[in-house]
Amino acid sequence: MTTLIVFLCIALLLLIIVQIARVRDLAKQLRGKEEVEATAVASTGRGLLLFAVVFLLATAVSALYYKNWMLGFGPLESASIHGASIDSMMKWTLAITYVAFFITNAVLFYFAYKYRTRKNHKALYLSHNNTVELIWTGIPAIVMTFLVVGGLDVWNDTMSDVGADDQYMEIEATGYQFAWQMRYPGPDGLLGRKDFRLISGANPLGQDWTDPKNHDDILVNDVTLPVDQKVRVRITAKDVLHDFYLPQFRVKMDAVPGLPTYFIFTPTKTTREWRKELSAYPEYQVPDPESDDGEQLWENRNFELACAELCGKGHYSMARVVTILEQEDFDIWYAGQKSYYEENVKGTKDDPIYMAEIQQRRGDLLEAADNALSTPSAQDNTIDLEAIRFESESTEPTEFSTYQLNDLIVLMEQHPEVRIELTVDSDTENGATELARSRAEAVRNYLVASGGDQDRMRILAGDDQGENEGTEDAQARNQVLVFNIIQGDVNEPAAAAAPESDTEQEESSAE
Amino acid sequence: MATAVLTKAPIRRDDALIEEYGYDDHFHDHHHGDKYQSNFVSHYIFSQDHKMIAKQFLITGMIWAIIGASMSLIFRMQLGFPEESLAWLKPVLGKWITVNEDGVGTLTPDFYYALVTMHGTILVFFVLTAGLSGTFSNLLIPLMIGARDMASPLLNMLSYWFFFLSGTIMFASLFLSTGPFAGGWVAYPPLSALPQAMDGSGAGMTLWTISLVLFVVSVLLGGINYITTVLNLRTKGMSMWRLPLPIWAFFVTAILGLLSFPVLTSAFFLLMLDRGIGTSFYLSDIYIGGAALDHVGGSPILYQHLFWFLGHPEVYIIILPAFGIVSEVLSVNSRKPIFGYQAMVFSILAIAFLAFIVWAHHMFMSGINPFIANFFVIFTLIIAVPSAVKVFNWIATLYGGDVRFNPASLFAIGFVSMFISGGMTGIWLGNSALDIQLHDTYFVVAHFHIVMGVAAFFGMYAGVYHWFPKMYGRFMNETLGKIHFWGTIIGAYAVFWPMHYLGMAGVPRRYYSFDNFQSFAYFDGMNKFITIAAIITFGFQMLFVINFFWSIWKGRKMTTRNPYQANTLEWTTPIEVGHGNWPGKLPTVQRWAYDYSKDGIDHLPQIQPVLEGESSEH
Repeated sequence: MTTLIVFLCIALLLLIIVQIARVRDLAKQLRGKEEVEATAVASTGRGLLLFAVVFLLATAVSALYYKNWMLGFGPLESASIHGASIDSMMKWTLAITYVAFFITNAVLFYFAYKYRTRKNHKALYLSHNNTVELIWTGIPAIVMTFLVVGGLDVWNDTMSDVGADDQYMEIEATGYQFAWQMRYPGPDGLLGRKDFRLISGANPLGQDWTDPKNHDDILVNDVTLPVDQKVRVRITAKDVLHDFYLPQFRVKMDAVPGLPTYFIFTPTKTTREWRKELSAYPEYQVPDPESDDGEQLWENRNFELACAELCGKGHYSMARVVTILEQEDFDIWYAGQKSYYEENVKGTKDDPIYMAEIQQRRGDLLEAADNALSTPSAQDNTIDLEAIRFESESTEPTEFSTYQLNDLIVLMEQHPEVRIELTVDSDTENGATELARSRAEAVRNYLVASGGDQDRMRILAGDDQGENEGTEDAQARNQVLVFNIIQGDVNEPAAAAAPESDTEQEESSAE
Repeated sequence: MATAVLTKAPIRRDDALIEEYGYDDHFHDHHHGDKYQSNFVSHYIFSQDHKMIAKQFLITGMIWAIIGASMSLIFRMQLGFPEESLAWLKPVLGKWITVNEDGVGTLTPDFYYALVTMHGTILVFFVLTAGLSGTFSNLLIPLMIGARDMASPLLNMLSYWFFFLSGTIMFASLFLSTGPFAGGWVAYPPLSALPQAMDGSGAGMTLWTISLVLFVVSVLLGGINYITTVLNLRTKGMSMWRLPLPIWAFFVTAILGLLSFPVLTSAFFLLMLDRGIGTSFYLSDIYIGGAALDHVGGSPILYQHLFWFLGHPEVYIIILPAFGIVSEVLSVNSRKPIFGYQAMVFSILAIAFLAFIVWAHHMFMSGINPFIANFFVIFTLIIAVPSAVKVFNWIATLYGGDVRFNPASLFAIGFVSMFISGGMTGIWLGNSALDIQLHDTYFVVAHFHIVMGVAAFFGMYAGVYHWFPKMYGRFMNETLGKIHFWGTIIGAYAVFWPMHYLGMAGVPRRYYSFDNFQSFAYFDGMNKFITIAAIITFGFQMLFVINFFWSIWKGRKMTTRNPYQANTLEWTTPIEVGHGNWPGKLPTVQRWAYDYSKDGIDHLPQIQPVLEGESSEH
């Protein structure tokens, strides 16, 4: 409703202006054209002059007013090495263009005022002057040369890639609708291969887990970097164009699907140092509206990562915090980060290495069975099933045991004449034999449920395996395979895939 | 400087001169009656008369300008006053306004981006290309070079109707349930190529591309016509070096369009193939909406190259006609020749040439080889030289003049100021080192709105106020025009000047809200100020619209043929210009267009033969 009234008011105002204008034009005819026109010329001339003065003053005053909010000035001087040269280039450009802007605008409006039409005033006939044309072609050309050379110097310094023997850290930023994913290289200092076809919920960047360089890569959301260390950011995108933009560091580069880009920079101040600098400016000594504890603005200020290329409806919301730490603090932070592979992938069905192991194990099992059946000796008829594990204090096989359990089914299908005997190792603890037997039964139940023939299976007690088999003839013995399930710690499914890397080894390799 | 006192008898003007020196092409022997304008439809709708087509372009452009500017007000209100309710817009925008439980209506981000995109597309193509170049090229080329009409009136008519069709399709896209295209007026793939990336990239984008392809057809039909007309239909004596500057500008503009728009079309065709039949010109390695796409091997940067190969000349297609108009208006109203006519022509040619080799300065941060950027920086900053020459020449034209203040001359002076202000920031952005910081921030928004948006509008206003009598035989109200000027120059600076500060603070453009970032959230007050200034400035433009339509029927009538004492040929035609422009013989040209205040004589029209004792220099 208020808006409607506002619009009605505007319409009314327009109507009034139109009427006044009509009356003025009528009055002009009545009062004598020349007189009216002379006054109009005088007032318009003064108006132009006044406009020029107010406008040029306003540009200077407003610029000073906002100075400490603009990049390159006061507390927002660049927080990176190359950024300082950009700031300096920008100030040169500002000085030159502002002077040119000021003079040309001032002269333009002054001339309009000075040479306004008056009675008995004649214009000069001045059609051209090649000398002045040359002068005002030459001066801009010289100034531009200066700006081009200065600018390109800064540009090529900033954009050149790292050299072979540069000390730098490489991280990766990936933009997607609508956030950023950062990847750190981990202890090996190398980012692993990735492929967009491998992207899934469990593999947000499409890392190729068969590349060992990926195994220690760390995925985090925010950017954390050590001060005074050159960093090369590899910039990629998953879906559409994004732009990796760190305003306070003068870093900006498009993230292009299918075309990795990069930006190299060296932060020069830590977040803490920057806040301290900010605290010196009254603009930042006001209470922070975001803070509940009445903290001042500078206390909560962070460097930020934003997107600077329109990428969809959430383009404006791709915020990440950038934290710059002292080298020691960074090292502590870095050491505390977990490899994404170790934490989320290793030993799961998303782990191609583990899946390859399972394949391998199936082959081994079938081969061992073939061997056992093709030799008359029963010596090798006992096969260990190392990959079958149980939940702690339970008869339930773990999820990843099902692979080898299924292998048993395959084996029984391939050799319909074979009977099997199952035995589960009891733990070293006394009195666990009962559990071992229940577990063996659970395995048999699983096999039966999966289509195995119950008559062909037999469960042996944990410690009496093989002792009562001596009476059967060799031919029959060959048809019996004894499966020995070795107990392990079920709480470490990862150990099933790669038993050699337990937690302690992991930590030592991280150092 | 010659100050010879001429002793000749009073200078004869117009009809008598045309009768004596004119060229008889027997036009009216061949055109009994007026076959082009015989009834309502052929006169007002499917007209083949260049003057009517010019009016069609102008009025269609104005309608689009109002639509495009209204869109900017809506998204500015959301941006400046995010807490204020926009629920009152719900009857118009429907589901694009979401109303929360407190009754506060908010523009949805989807539609915010759709409005931003449509605003850009409409203003750049429909208003500043068709509305400006289409209007004045059509109106002035035949009149100023002494031609009966365009070389092909039929193509000229088709040019308008393709534009109209293009506009209709774009307008229709506003009503799609998924909304019009919303991926920015540059329509970068993959965002524009994948319907799953954004609602507007579905049917909205399809209509957008079809509309713009038709628009390109319109521009090309107009362009070949302008070029042919200027080259072939100049009247006797009108050598290229005697062409008034607007004609030079329109001529070069048409060449620019002819060479660059087809590249845009090819970019669109490849985009259509990527969208429609699964090619991979622009797409590669994309995982979106939970699926990896089959596209491999394309490059989004290829599109950017093709787009900006038009996109950069396009800004000169927009601004060159304004250059021409302003040069003419300043010269006439200063009662002085344009200073450095040849330098002005050469600078237009230089700018037009350079326009083709600077396109990648829009792409410094897009992932192109940084080494390549070196060349584009050099060529880009060289443009500052001919641009500076033009500015100095305009200022020198005022120097020593007898400057009349009317809305046209005020807008021309305002144009020069805007062009200076916007041009200076071009020196910042053209320098790739500074572009690292400024690319895609509000600094860019400030730069291009001032230098090609506002400045081109100023050129257009100068042209409309100046040539309105030629179009409608009446004057626009001068007082209203002056109020319009003051409101516009103050308003436009109030809107766009503060954006420089936003940009220098690093605030990115195309943000729906700044609340997610500490770095960008400070400028609430400034954003409110800009929004209010934009609304007020829009109000002043409504004043122009009212003045325009009111004056068509009620404006002060033109009583003399040459109200501005101008030299160019259009003022030798009758007040009511019929088809064929001159009722009898075609005027012939005896001199250049800028003999103002020469030898103490106020003005010497182009049809005036050299006087006895006249100094020979110019």
